[in-house]
Amino acid sequence: MKKILLSFLLAVPILGYAQSYQVNLQGQKQTAMGGAGTGVALDEAAVFFNPGAVSFLKKNGVQAGGSAIFLKAAFRENGSNITEYTKEKLTVDPSVYAVFGNPNNRLRFGLGVYVPFGGAVHWDPNWTGKYTVTSLDLQAIYVQPTLSYKITDHIGIGAGFVYTNGKVDLKRGVPLTLNDGTSATAQLKGHSNDFGWNAGIYVETVSGVTIGVTHRSQVTAQVKDGDAIFKVPQALQDGFPTKFSANLPLPATSSIGLGFYPSSKTIIAVDANWVHWSKYKVLAFDYNNNSRIPNTSSPRNYHDGGALRIGIQNMATERLALRLGAAYAFTPVGKGYVTPEVPDANRILLSAGLGYKASERFSIDLSFLYENVKSRNETNIETNLSGDFKTVAYIPGIALSYKW
Amino acid sequence: MNSKFIFRSILAVAVVTAASCKPELKTITPSKGSADFSRYIAVGNSLTSGFADGGLYLEGQQNAFPLMIGTQMQTVGGGTFSMPFFNANQADGSGYKKLTGFSATGDPVIVDVPAQAAIGTANVPGFGTVPLFTKYTGDLNNYGVPGIRLNNITLTYYGNLNPYFERLLPNTSPANTTSYLSFVTAKPFTFFSMWLGNNDVLGYATGGAAVAADFPTDKALFTQIYNGAVTALKTGGAGGTGAKGVVATIPDVLSTPYFTTVTLTAILAKVHLAAPTVNTIYIKTGAGTTRPATAQDYFLLPLSAANLIGTTTNAPYPYGLDPRNPVESKYVLDQAEAAVIVDYTNAYNATIKAVAASNGLALVDANALFKSYAGGKIVNGAAVSAAYITGNLFSLDGIHLTPFGYAIVANEFIKSINTQYGASIPTVDVTKYRGVKFP
Repeated sequence: MKKILLSFLLAVPILGYAQSYQVNLQGQKQTAMGGAGTGVALDEAAVFFNPGAVSFLKKNGVQAGGSAIFLKAAFRENGSNITEYTKEKLTVDPSVYAVFGNPNNRLRFGLGVYVPFGGAVHWDPNWTGKYTVTSLDLQAIYVQPTLSYKITDHIGIGAGFVYTNGKVDLKRGVPLTLNDGTSATAQLKGHSNDFGWNAGIYVETVSGVTIGVTHRSQVTAQVKDGDAIFKVPQALQDGFPTKFSANLPLPATSSIGLGFYPSSKTIIAVDANWVHWSKYKVLAFDYNNNSRIPNTSSPRNYHDGGALRIGIQNMATERLALRLGAAYAFTPVGKGYVTPEVPDANRILLSAGLGYKASERFSIDLSFLYENVKSRNETNIETNLSGDFKTVAYIPGIALSYKW
Repeated sequence: MNSKFIFRSILAVAVVTAASCKPELKTITPSKGSADFSRYIAVGNSLTSGFADGGLYLEGQQNAFPLMIGTQMQTVGGGTFSMPFFNANQADGSGYKKLTGFSATGDPVIVDVPAQAAIGTANVPGFGTVPLFTKYTGDLNNYGVPGIRLNNITLTYYGNLNPYFERLLPNTSPANTTSYLSFVTAKPFTFFSMWLGNNDVLGYATGGAAVAADFPTDKALFTQIYNGAVTALKTGGAGGTGAKGVVATIPDVLSTPYFTTVTLTAILAKVHLAAPTVNTIYIKTGAGTTRPATAQDYFLLPLSAANLIGTTTNAPYPYGLDPRNPVESKYVLDQAEAAVIVDYTNAYNATIKAVAASNGLALVDANALFKSYAGGKIVNGAAVSAAYITGNLFSLDGIHLTPFGYAIVANEFIKSINTQYGASIPTVDVTKYRGVKFP
């Protein structure tokens, strides 16, 4: 087994977390295992990974955790010898779960609060691509009350209702020169409140292999009456908008996962995710004043994306769990559509982690995830920004849990 | 599967990630190819000097495209690139135009910033009075002289007539006896850019073809002088051992905002506010006849600022609206005159391309370049067009470029040099340069 795992690691040049602005860090154990977890009933994070598996958890519990994302992107314009980097910007991606109800009953309850979409990319305000974007802060917090029901001793189904609170803050330069010689700027800031769902089925087969299938619905984040803050020359200010509206799809994800149990101490989880990014056709902004600028509609034309994930957990001792994982994510962004707010490409993910059971009730989990987004030479069909992109991310995380 | 293996793997992941903390792109090494940029000189007119907003002033000089090229050449062994800057305390140079706002009807309000470097005048016998600027005496790589025509470069007395040339020369007008071509080739150099010929048609066009003395340079003479200039420059100057270079064609002046902003439709739209039934604007053609203007005639930018249309200040009849008081020839480049401009521009450009090809020089087709931007183009997310004031390409005079426009030109020169000589001089970041400054 270890040989297989090792050769897998070596075969993939250097193996992640996300696609475009999707963030897959919803559980520390799963993150340490390459993000796999659909086909195993590991812990309270099953509320996210597979609501059907929640009824199979042996104990009730609460857990709270978070991952710190250190992401750095590089860009070099074609023809130039200067490489520009995004600024150091730490973002924290939190998750909180609770599972309750009588573990002996068929019906269990769950609650999850997590952030499956987000991002913080901050370029220098005067960088080469400033007229396309200078910074993007995006966060969609999902709150998911969940019911999970064991139909038989070996089959569980579950579903959760999702409320999404989104916020977006996008900044870019405007190609008009202020009196001091600097460029005008625009900032678009808004909130959204939308709904969706998450459902899954979990099966223990006679062979011992467990199987999970889930679907998390699309949520369309609708920003209405967002603030459009244009810092433009005073002589032109009257013609610029003050409000905007926009829709951003937070796409559906369908997953299938398997769990293998080669020994009583070892769990291997394998996942395949299908992310329905093809709904993201355009990024459109409608303004309340069009005398200086028209409404914009930037083509994105994403195709569906996906990821293959594998992770292993081994109990080194009664109290210490070691975890390792790898994944490969296929970008949804086609040639000509790469933008510097999410300089996406296929990516390799490598992860590792530890779990320590301090007592029967308390435990702590640590994870570390490295993402290497392949370099990509792109010319955007809308902005003509042309050059090499390369991104890496380092994501350490921690979670505390209490079981009863 | 034992724990030791997993533990070791965790360490391996930590080592791999710690080893590559920053996203790395493939290293590139700029190269000079088969050219030598140790002394690059820029030969040309206003466009080469950094002229913008109707004047030559320090900020414009600091954004001159040859300075951008010279700076980039330093990554591939290029030497210092010296500019004939105006002194900081005379930064306004010859004076220039500045946008201070917009009128109630949306017209730009443009004022003149007075000259600071003008220090007096000289009387040149047989020519008249010429202004004098504070001299520049330091090292020189940018020889751009605003206003110079190709057929001026061999004239030994020209240094007395053009104050921008005079300020670079040792003697005070009218004591200069060095032609422009002799001046630029007096010291050795290894590389040159030459962008000349624009003024051989431009003056005639911007004057509405109303000044006979401004008639375009004879085509055969143009070819002869152009060949002579290239031959002289290829020697690498006095004491030089030969030079490589780049030349550029002449942009189509008729697609600049100077000729495209004030259109017949725009004039009529404004007239209609007060006189909705008027549908004819009368012009005086170059041939001296008065006729209704058509969409094939070009009205010049200064007509707008002159605010004459419909006025009766100088005649009992409303200006331009009555055949007895037509728009003067100096404000109009009529269809026949425009055809002359196009014909000469095409002929000159055929010469420039042929000379470049036969001498193995890099060529920038500035004519094609400007045409490609005229209808609008997106550059790194910024809309760039030939629109007056808002287009980011042209400065307030409607003919010369903004720093952003000059950066685009610099990159075209760099790309052309790179192609011709197998070099890889890095391009400049055009978004670091500004468009028209708004109040």
